[in-house]
Amino acid sequence: MSGHSVPSEIPIRHLNRSGPTSTALGIMIFAGVVSFFAALFTDPALAWKSYVVNWNYFTSLSLGGAAVAAVTWIVKAKWNWPIRRLHQSLVAFLPISFVLFVPMLVVLREDYFPWIAMMEYDPIVQKKAAYLNIPFLVSRNVVGVAALFGLALGFVYLALRPDLGALGRGGATAAHRWRERLTAGWAGQEAEENRSYHRMTRLAPVLVITWVVVMTILSFDWAMSLEPHWFSTLFGGWFFMASFWGGLAATAVLAVGLKGRDAVFDKHVGTPVLWDLGKLVFAFTVFWTYLFWSQYLPIWYGKLEWEQAWLATRLGPPWGGLSAAVIVLCFVVPFAGLLGARPKKSPRVLQSFATVVLAGLWVWQYMLIFPSLHHEGDAVFSALTPLIGVGFLGLFLTAIRWFLATFPAIQVWQPPVDPEPLEAEGR
Amino acid sequence: MATAELRREAPTAAARRERGALPNPDVQSYSDVNRDVLKVLSRPGPGWWILFGLAAGGVGLFFTSWFWQIYKGIGVSGLNAPVGWGVYITTFVFWVGIAHSGTLISAILFLFRAPWRQSIYRAAEAMTVFAVMTAGLFPLIHVGRVWHAYWLIPYPNSRFLWPNFRSPLVWDVFAVTTYFTVSAVFFYLGTIPDLAAARDQARGLRKKFYHFISLGWRGTDREWHHFSKAYIYLAALATPLVLSVHSVVSWDFAMAIVPGWHTTIFAPYFVAGAIFSGVAMVITLAVPMRKFFGLENYLTVKHFEAMAKLCLVTGTIVLYAYLTEYFLAWYSGEPPERGSFWNRAFGHYWWANWTMLTCNGLVPLMLWFKRVRRSISALFVISIFVNIGMWFERFVIIVTSLSHEYEPWAWGLYRPSIVEMGILIGSFAWFGFWFLLFTRLLPPVAIAEMKEVLPPPLRRRRGS
Repeated sequence: MSGHSVPSEIPIRHLNRSGPTSTALGIMIFAGVVSFFAALFTDPALAWKSYVVNWNYFTSLSLGGAAVAAVTWIVKAKWNWPIRRLHQSLVAFLPISFVLFVPMLVVLREDYFPWIAMMEYDPIVQKKAAYLNIPFLVSRNVVGVAALFGLALGFVYLALRPDLGALGRGGATAAHRWRERLTAGWAGQEAEENRSYHRMTRLAPVLVITWVVVMTILSFDWAMSLEPHWFSTLFGGWFFMASFWGGLAATAVLAVGLKGRDAVFDKHVGTPVLWDLGKLVFAFTVFWTYLFWSQYLPIWYGKLEWEQAWLATRLGPPWGGLSAAVIVLCFVVPFAGLLGARPKKSPRVLQSFATVVLAGLWVWQYMLIFPSLHHEGDAVFSALTPLIGVGFLGLFLTAIRWFLATFPAIQVWQPPVDPEPLEAEGR
Repeated sequence: MATAELRREAPTAAARRERGALPNPDVQSYSDVNRDVLKVLSRPGPGWWILFGLAAGGVGLFFTSWFWQIYKGIGVSGLNAPVGWGVYITTFVFWVGIAHSGTLISAILFLFRAPWRQSIYRAAEAMTVFAVMTAGLFPLIHVGRVWHAYWLIPYPNSRFLWPNFRSPLVWDVFAVTTYFTVSAVFFYLGTIPDLAAARDQARGLRKKFYHFISLGWRGTDREWHHFSKAYIYLAALATPLVLSVHSVVSWDFAMAIVPGWHTTIFAPYFVAGAIFSGVAMVITLAVPMRKFFGLENYLTVKHFEAMAKLCLVTGTIVLYAYLTEYFLAWYSGEPPERGSFWNRAFGHYWWANWTMLTCNGLVPLMLWFKRVRRSISALFVISIFVNIGMWFERFVIIVTSLSHEYEPWAWGLYRPSIVEMGILIGSFAWFGFWFLLFTRLLPPVAIAEMKEVLPPPLRRRRGS
C-alpha cells in the first residue's frame, strides 16, 4: 500500500440530501414494491426467488462493508483513513435487511426449500434431517443474523461516537436527535477516542469470525441446500469472500461518487487512496476467480454424477449464457480493465469497473439460486427480478444516504497510530 | 464547515521502535549494523560445530537409508496396497508447505509495506530455498527406481512419449520447480548488497568468495535503481506463486475421488496451512538464531508478535477448514464420506488425528492472548507444536484416507518402516545442514534494509 499521511485537521462533512435524489430513491423503492407484488400475484415462486436473491446480494454488500472496516482496523491500515466512514456506511442497510429477513423465515417454510418435500422419500436427504429442518433453520438464522448484525452495528457505533462529540449538542432535527442519542454518557473527547479505539480493537476480530461463520451458514441454507444432494466445502468461503469483495467494490463506487460531488472529498480521497482501493478490488477479482477455479477444477476432474450435476445445470442450456456472463463480469472485464496502475488511479475508470464487479456479483447470486429452483416452463430470466432489485437498491442507497447525511462522512478521529515514514519500504 | 483539531503528534522513536520500524537503541549507526550482523559470519563457536556435526550425521543417515532402499527396492518401505502413499509424500507436502512463509514474508509483506518483515525475511527466504530443496528429494525417493525419475519431465524424444499432462503429479513438477527458481533468484538478488558489505570486511579466501558472488556491487545510484526495480517485479511475480504452488500440491489429492481427498476447499486450505507451518518454522529457527548470534537488537519481541499474529490468522483458517470438512462429511449423507471422517477420529489412526487437532487447532488458540504472543519462549514451544501438527495433518489426510476407501475388503493399514523413519529424520538434518551453512556464509539479517531505517550518517563538527 502506498504511503499515506493523515492531515492534522479533518473537516466535518455531511452529505447534502437533495430533493431530486429523494424522489428518485422513492421511485426506485416504489417500483420494487410494485414489481414484487405483481410477481407475487402472477408467479409467487418467481417473486420469492427474486426476493431471496436480492436480500442475499444487498445484505452481502452491507456485511462486506462491515468486514472491510473490521479487517482494515485489525491490520491497522492507514491508507483508507478518508474512506473508513464509507465502509461503515454500508452497514446502515442492516436494520432494514433484518426486517426484510422476517418474511423469508415466516413465508418460505412451506414449499420453498426442495428438501422439505424430498425429506419424505429421499434416503440421502433423510440423513440430513438433523440439520435440514425448519425449526433449526429458523433458530440458527435468527440467532446468527441477529448476532452478526448486532456486532456490525456495535462496531460502527463505536467508530461514530467520538466524532459526534465535536459536533456539539442541541438542535431539533432528526439528525441532531440521533447524535444526541448516540452520545449519551459522553465522557470527553480524549476518553471517548481511547474507549472506542480499545473496544473496536477487541470487537473487530469477534466481528470477523462471526461474519465468517454466519455467512457460511447463510450460504449453506439459502443457496447450497437448494440442491440437497450437492455439497462443496469451499462454498461458504467463496460466498463470504465475494461479500468482502463486494464491500470493497461498493466502497470504490461510493468514494468516486462523493468525490465528484464534493470538494472536500475530492481533496482527501486522492489518487493514492483510489490506487490502493483499486489494487484491492483487482486483487480480490483474482482471488474470487481463484476460489471459483479451486471449486470448479476438482468437480470437473472428479466426474462424479451427483457432484457435477450442480455445474452441468449451470453450464448447459438454458443457463450457460448467464454463467458466461458471471465469468465475464466478475473476472474478464475487471481483470483486463484494472490491470496496471493508470486505470486504478482514474476515478471514472475505477468506478466503472467496480460497477461491473457489482453487476457481476448480482448475476452470480442469481445463478446460485435460480437454476436450483428451476422447473419446466419457468422463465430463465424475468424483468421482474431486477426490478425487485431496483427496490432493494433504493432502500440500500437511502440507508447509506441517511447515514452519510446524519454522521460525518469522513471519520474525523483516527486510531492513535500515526503513519511513519516507511524508509525501508520506499523502493 | 466545522473543523476538529486532532491530537496527532509525530511518532516518537520509541513508538516506532515498538512497532518494529526501528531497531533497538543500541543500534545507532550503519557501522553498528555491519558489526552486529557480520560478526555472525566470523569463526564459529563450539555450539555451531556440535549442531553442524549432528546435522552432518543426520544427512549420513538420510543417504544411507535412501541408498539402502535403492539397493533393496521400494519393498523396504511400509508402502503397500492400498496405502501407496505414506511418509515420503507426507514429508514432501510438509516441506513444500514450510517453504511458503519465506515468499510470503519477503514478497507479499514487501508489497503490503509491513515494516516488521525487514529483520526476518532473509532467514525466511533461506528457509524457503532449503525447504524446497528438501521437498524436491521426496518424489525421487518415492518413485523407488530413482533412475527413472526424469520420466516426469516433458522433453522431446524419439518415441513420442510424454507424461500425462492431465495428471496433477506433472503439474506439481512445474509448480515446484517454478517456485524454487523464483524463490532462489529472489533470495539471491536480495542478498547482493549485503554480500558486498561482507566482501568489504572479509579477508583472504572469504573475500574472494564474497567478491565473486556479490557480482561487483558498488552501491551506486544506478545499481540501486536497477536493484529496486528488479526486486519489486520479482516480488510481484512471486506473489501468485504463493497461492499456486500449494494449490497444485493440494490437487494431487483433491482430483482423486478418494473419500477425504476429493474436496473443493483443499486449495485455499492447503495454502493457509502451508503459511501457518512456514511461519511456525521461521519462529522455531529465529528463536535460537537470535539467542546464539546475539541478534536481540534486530529480532525484537515485536517481530515475534507479528509472526504470532500471522500464525493465529492462518491457524484460524485451518481450523475453519477442519470444522467445515467434518460438518460437510456428515452433511453429505454419503456412507464412504462419513465413514472416512469417522475413521479419522475414532479409527486405527485416531492418535494421529487428535495430535493434528490438538497441535493445529487447540494449541494456537493460546495466541489470542497478548502475553503469549509477546513471550518468545512460549512462541518457541507453540511453533514446535504447530510443526508437529502440520506434519501429522498431511499424514492423516494421506494415510487414513487411503487405508479406508470405498470397499471394506480393500481397506488396509500402513506402518512406516525404519528406512522411512531414517529418511524422515534425515530430511530435517539435511534442511538443518543447509541452514547452518547459511548462517555462517550469508548475512542472516538484511543489512541494507536495516540501514535504511536508521538516520543517514551526517558529517559532524569536531566536538559536537
